[in-house]
Amino acid sequence: MRKFNFAWEHGVAVFLVVAIALGSGLSEFFATTDNLSFIIQDVAEIAIIALAMTYLIIAGEIDLSVASTLNLASAAVGFSFRNGMPFEMAIVVGLLVGLACGLLNGYLVTVVGLPSLAVTIGTLALFRGFAWVLLGNEPVNELPENWIVLGYENIPNTFLPWSTIPVVILALLAWVILHYTRIGRWTYAIGINAEAAKFSGIPVARMKLALFGVTGLMSGVAGVVYTLRFASASPDGAVGYELDVIAAVLFGGVAIAGGLGTLWGVLAAVLSLGVIRSAMQLLDFTGNALLIVSGALLLISVVLPRAIELVKDRRKSVTV
Amino acid sequence: MAPSQKPVLEMRDAAKAFGGVQALKGAELTLYPGEIHALLGENGAGKSTLLKALAGVHKIDSGSITLNGKTFEQGSTRAARDQGIAVIYQEPSLFPDLTLAENVFVGRQLEKAGVVDWKSMEQQAKSLFDQLGVKLDPSIRARGLSIADQQIVEIAKALSIQATVIVMDEPTAALSSKEVDRLFKVARSLEAQGCAVVFVSHRLDEVFALCSRITIMRDGATVGTDLAKDLNEAKVIKLMVGREISELYPKLPAKIGDVVLSVDGLNLAGQFADISFEVRAGEILGLAGLVGSGRSEVVRAVFGVDKYDKGSVSLNGKKLRNGNAAANMNAGLALVPEDRRQQGLFMPTSIAKNSAVTMLKKLAKLFIVRAKSEAELAAEWGKVLQLKYADIQDPVDRLSGGNQQKVVLAKWLATEPKLLIVDEPTRGIDVGTKSEVHRLLSQKAQEGMAIIMVSSELPEVLGMADRVLVMREGRMVGEFDRKQATAEKVMAAATGVTK
Amino acid sequence: MTSLIQKALRIRELPIFLFLVVVALVTGFANPAFFTVAGLQDVLLGVSIVAVLAIAQTLVIVMKHIDLSVGSTIGFTAYVMGAAGSWGHSVWWGLAVSLGIGIAVGAINGFLVAYMKLPSLVVTLATLYLVKGIFNEIAGGDTITGDRVPEAVNAIGANYFFGVPYIYIIVFVLMLVVGFIMKRMRAARDLYAIGSNLSASELAGIPVARRVFLAFVATGAITGLAGVLLLARYNTADANSGVGIELYAIAACVIGGVAIAGGIGTVYGAMIGAVLLQTITSALGALGIPQFWQLAVNGTLLIAAISLDRYLSSRVKPTSIMGSHE
Repeated sequence: MRKFNFAWEHGVAVFLVVAIALGSGLSEFFATTDNLSFIIQDVAEIAIIALAMTYLIIAGEIDLSVASTLNLASAAVGFSFRNGMPFEMAIVVGLLVGLACGLLNGYLVTVVGLPSLAVTIGTLALFRGFAWVLLGNEPVNELPENWIVLGYENIPNTFLPWSTIPVVILALLAWVILHYTRIGRWTYAIGINAEAAKFSGIPVARMKLALFGVTGLMSGVAGVVYTLRFASASPDGAVGYELDVIAAVLFGGVAIAGGLGTLWGVLAAVLSLGVIRSAMQLLDFTGNALLIVSGALLLISVVLPRAIELVKDRRKSVTV
Repeated sequence: MAPSQKPVLEMRDAAKAFGGVQALKGAELTLYPGEIHALLGENGAGKSTLLKALAGVHKIDSGSITLNGKTFEQGSTRAARDQGIAVIYQEPSLFPDLTLAENVFVGRQLEKAGVVDWKSMEQQAKSLFDQLGVKLDPSIRARGLSIADQQIVEIAKALSIQATVIVMDEPTAALSSKEVDRLFKVARSLEAQGCAVVFVSHRLDEVFALCSRITIMRDGATVGTDLAKDLNEAKVIKLMVGREISELYPKLPAKIGDVVLSVDGLNLAGQFADISFEVRAGEILGLAGLVGSGRSEVVRAVFGVDKYDKGSVSLNGKKLRNGNAAANMNAGLALVPEDRRQQGLFMPTSIAKNSAVTMLKKLAKLFIVRAKSEAELAAEWGKVLQLKYADIQDPVDRLSGGNQQKVVLAKWLATEPKLLIVDEPTRGIDVGTKSEVHRLLSQKAQEGMAIIMVSSELPEVLGMADRVLVMREGRMVGEFDRKQATAEKVMAAATGVTK
Repeated sequence: MTSLIQKALRIRELPIFLFLVVVALVTGFANPAFFTVAGLQDVLLGVSIVAVLAIAQTLVIVMKHIDLSVGSTIGFTAYVMGAAGSWGHSVWWGLAVSLGIGIAVGAINGFLVAYMKLPSLVVTLATLYLVKGIFNEIAGGDTITGDRVPEAVNAIGANYFFGVPYIYIIVFVLMLVVGFIMKRMRAARDLYAIGSNLSASELAGIPVARRVFLAFVATGAITGLAGVLLLARYNTADANSGVGIELYAIAACVIGGVAIAGGIGTVYGAMIGAVLLQTITSALGALGIPQFWQLAVNGTLLIAAISLDRYLSSRVKPTSIMGSHE
């Protein structure tokens, strides 16, 4: 008989429900299928990257270069297509570029031994720089029509956008792997105590390299989704997305120090972000208010647990 | 240091317990100005707890400490320093990016006209180094400084705050013989200046060469204090060991079989050299030696946590991978590491997950690992090892040290290793659990498992091992059969004293 | 004690300074216009803003912390300074409010990092958002144009003293002052100790939390004033001012030898790093390489700098009076 422990994630779930209720109450357009479709489209890229970022932060690392990777993958798709490659092939190139970016980060962290924060601040600039080099000042806008309909149309006979498919499949996969497989157990173990992990026969360096690689690949997938959604590949897309991703992951209950967090918490957080954004847009808030909300969420998700901890400590010292 | 002189420090009947373990009980220490005083005892005898009480890290539960005639204010490292006690650890923690001069004066940099006066700081640091007879450039950064030089910087710091008691906690463990000579000179000059120097070491030859008085501890109590000239090594060892060996260590007779592990010419620069040995099925091989002699480094390299430079390791005739613990674990190696909390366990994680972390591949069905199967595995092993716990999902940091060690043993025994390496398997655990662990190891050997046991506790090694290997300064220096091995012989080989 | 040459070789900033000289010479050869007064003035003008932020950032990076929020703060205060006149206030009001905003942001960051013990990366990421959101809410679509920039501010950006831009002189003096403080004041020395070995700092009785807090406040204050310089330099400000500039400031620090791992580095190094970044920008132009390469080059330089630092520190051999055992 397990006791029910109220965890951070439950708070996020409650928050999500309240946000939906408020949104529906304040705007008649909120609880419509069109708006649901919009919300999913709006957060698809963030959700896909957040899945991988969840693993990375649980394992005690971070990747600030994800938005630049996304953008470089998108630029690679556009560049390949502009230079005569079939669009299907161009997509594969985009995914490979994403993977390569992630592996470069992983190499610098695990083999060269640099802190991931510094590395990915550097590659944040580097990858975006490459996108500028690839495309120059000319975005690629003439993409094949049969592909870009996937970016704005719903799956036939449903109210769900096409991007639902990769999001749902990847989320299921990420959820199962994180919580029900050896890889998932290893991820937590590394984040809790990398040295003990090494002494437990866990291939720590290889795991971290793989996690960075997967994060790059997911950013590549997000890059393809992004390209289709905006029917364009440009060198200055997705600026600042890394902040949304990290805000969502931390708000979802993943500890920045690693070792703690659940995937459903992160998914609830991504959805919350989408719900708030759509509600605020429907209520004619500006984009600036959205920024404030993202920042506040991020701050709350680190300040609140610490404040609770401090209060608990104080209580303990009083009773003892 | 005539008895008529007033002591600078007196510790009377000190006691300290951690959880259920009585670390100190009836500990006594008297220090006079201008003496070098050795503090001896086996690991677990209570020396480090006593030192930590003096350093202000721990507060004793009962008893008294008097310093310079006043009651010593306990429990703060800052206060301990301000009262004149300085502790030089085996591995000091300096500020690697600051210069040596600033390291000496950190937090209280010398000032002139309200700004930091680098020149006089460097001059004073230089004169402190000179006073200690050591050539060190005060303007270089501390990063990359050898441990010997780091200790000198710490001693200079102690001098600059006019410490009256300077405690050196196994300062020679990681030093070369030349560095040891230099440290001795420094200690003697401190003695001449009227400091009371406490010197902790396992190397008895050093103790007799340097110290004027010796205090010996055993099981948390002081069992004797005497002038060095009235003692000899045999007497000291007897006082340190002091108990009947056989009762605690229920060694069962085991059939010794074929060679399981063979290590051939293993080398790792700066750690160990020319290490070759074999372990057979059913055999418990004791690996003895002082702290810092390279024992743990060898078993780490064998297991694959560290990479070795040269040599080979094979298990049942098959070569093992260098520096690949994951592969070696699958091949049948297991290591219960030295530092339980840092290396052995995931402290905030459940007993179930800790026990199962090595078994995930076998627990997985179609890649899926279920929490239930982890809990079952843990419960099963918990039963075998008589683990005491409230809930298998409780984090391991709620368990006592002994029970934590059982979880580490469980996670490795579950893999059914062909060779089990245990590094300090009973450090810091209570006597009852200790004998349980010994019985378990003995039983596993009887079942045919090959076991390497690294231990600093001589009685444990002598009581448990079929064969004892002794290391000193990174090399194998002795091998004794169970029958031949005595505390005196092993200690002599470990310290390099030939008598 | 030690010879001057030895001391010089120990200077951490030396290799990067030499690299800067090489880059400058190559650029000068390829395009003589680089070494004209106008070319050098361009570099000094261009470097000023990043340099002042890098000086501020040095204070937190030596403590092993980071402040990402400066990009929003500098844009905010640049706008406020420009808008002060149209809101009916004086230049002094603008200056005071800019300083106040900087101090407030720094105090929030500092409180959360020092007293709540939260990771500075996340805290300043959050305030980067928050400040930007508030700033853009206030600025809206408004653009400060040249005619709204106060005369005094404009003068800073437009005038030269013996050929050196005023704005650079201000930054240079700031560098000297902060450099002196960081070398000569006990409280500032504590920042290095904290970044070098946090637990040892606590053992040594350094008031860690207070130091960390004040360093963040100082960083905020300098950033607030940097907004005024930003306005002076570009004569314009809008909701996008300062976006992404925090990364340039961090890059300048790291390239200039301020270790991201804490405990080491000087504002002089940060200045050299900033000048190097700016020189490379100019070099790209001078060598006819498209400007698109600039970001990629900066990123490469940043990664190369931390890799090199890592390599050099791994090569530090332990001192020994006699070598190893054998």
